[in-house]
Amino acid sequence: MLGDRKPRKRQAEVTDLDLVPIMNMFLVIIPFLLISASFFHLRAINTTVPVLSSKAESGPVQSTAKVTVIVQLEETGITVSAMSDEVDEQTLRGFETVIAKEGTGRYAMDRLSSFLQGIKTSYPLSDTVIIMPGDTIVYETIIRAMDVARNTGETQLFPNVVISGKVG
Amino acid sequence: MALGRSRRRSRQTDIPKLQLTSMMDMFTILLIFLLVSFSKDVVTMKIDGKIQLPKSAAQADYQDTVRLVVSENTVWLGSQAVAKVQGGRVVGLDPENLEGSVLYQRLKECKSAISRSQDPAVDKDLVLFLCDKRLSFKTINGIIKTAGMAGFPNFQFGVLKQ
Repeated sequence: MLGDRKPRKRQAEVTDLDLVPIMNMFLVIIPFLLISASFFHLRAINTTVPVLSSKAESGPVQSTAKVTVIVQLEETGITVSAMSDEVDEQTLRGFETVIAKEGTGRYAMDRLSSFLQGIKTSYPLSDTVIIMPGDTIVYETIIRAMDVARNTGETQLFPNVVISGKVG
Repeated sequence: MALGRSRRRSRQTDIPKLQLTSMMDMFTILLIFLLVSFSKDVVTMKIDGKIQLPKSAAQADYQDTVRLVVSENTVWLGSQAVAKVQGGRVVGLDPENLEGSVLYQRLKECKSAISRSQDPAVDKDLVLFLCDKRLSFKTINGIIKTAGMAGFPNFQFGVLKQ
């Protein structure tokens, strides 16, 4: 009986795992990953500034009308208007609005988004928005306005953003 | 007595085993964190520590050919400081004479250097613009205009992923 018990005791002994090779592997992988780690994910918004051109645009003529939306960022709120060579003035006046700041002093970007969606629905080929910030408007607000003007959710609104100071 | 001594000596010469389990746990957590932040195109940018970039939903990748960085105190072109920002205005940047500024001269030099590039993938009219989110449009407008006049009408506004 005693002879039977001895081998059982040996089997029940807990054997320590040799973790040293795994540790070595970790010590190699971790410096490599530390070098390749990026803690800030930088992205970009493409935009242009108006420039003087010496030659006329020679692109293909679109049969469907396009409008260019102008978003003016001011201290009191946002003024939206539209311009086009192909649409009559009365129709364009329908796209003019002033979106006042919310009670908290924040810009009503949701209302701006809805309004721009309306213009995009009326003229789906339109792709350009001109953003005209006032002198006191901070850069963060400009970027937020750009975000709203370019996309709403998954829908693309006006991907071509031009930034311009006010004239006069 | 002799037996007792020899037993004590053998206990003293036992090599103590390292307890690696807790270290393994730590390394595993570290490994997972680093795997998540792994990026195949890491770019190291040395910019003013005080700069706060705005956050945006933009997804586009950037092209880092000419980099213009505007912090609360300094305007950098690449790694070179080209102007100071004091009281919300860029020192040495006269709105009536933008072409006379150091920034314009440096940008012109960059433009002529890039124009010689044969790489078709490089947009020669593009500037990566990194600007502090607290700065007003009055401050950055002059810089944007100067860049436009120097031959860089296309901008990429650098933002942090939301």
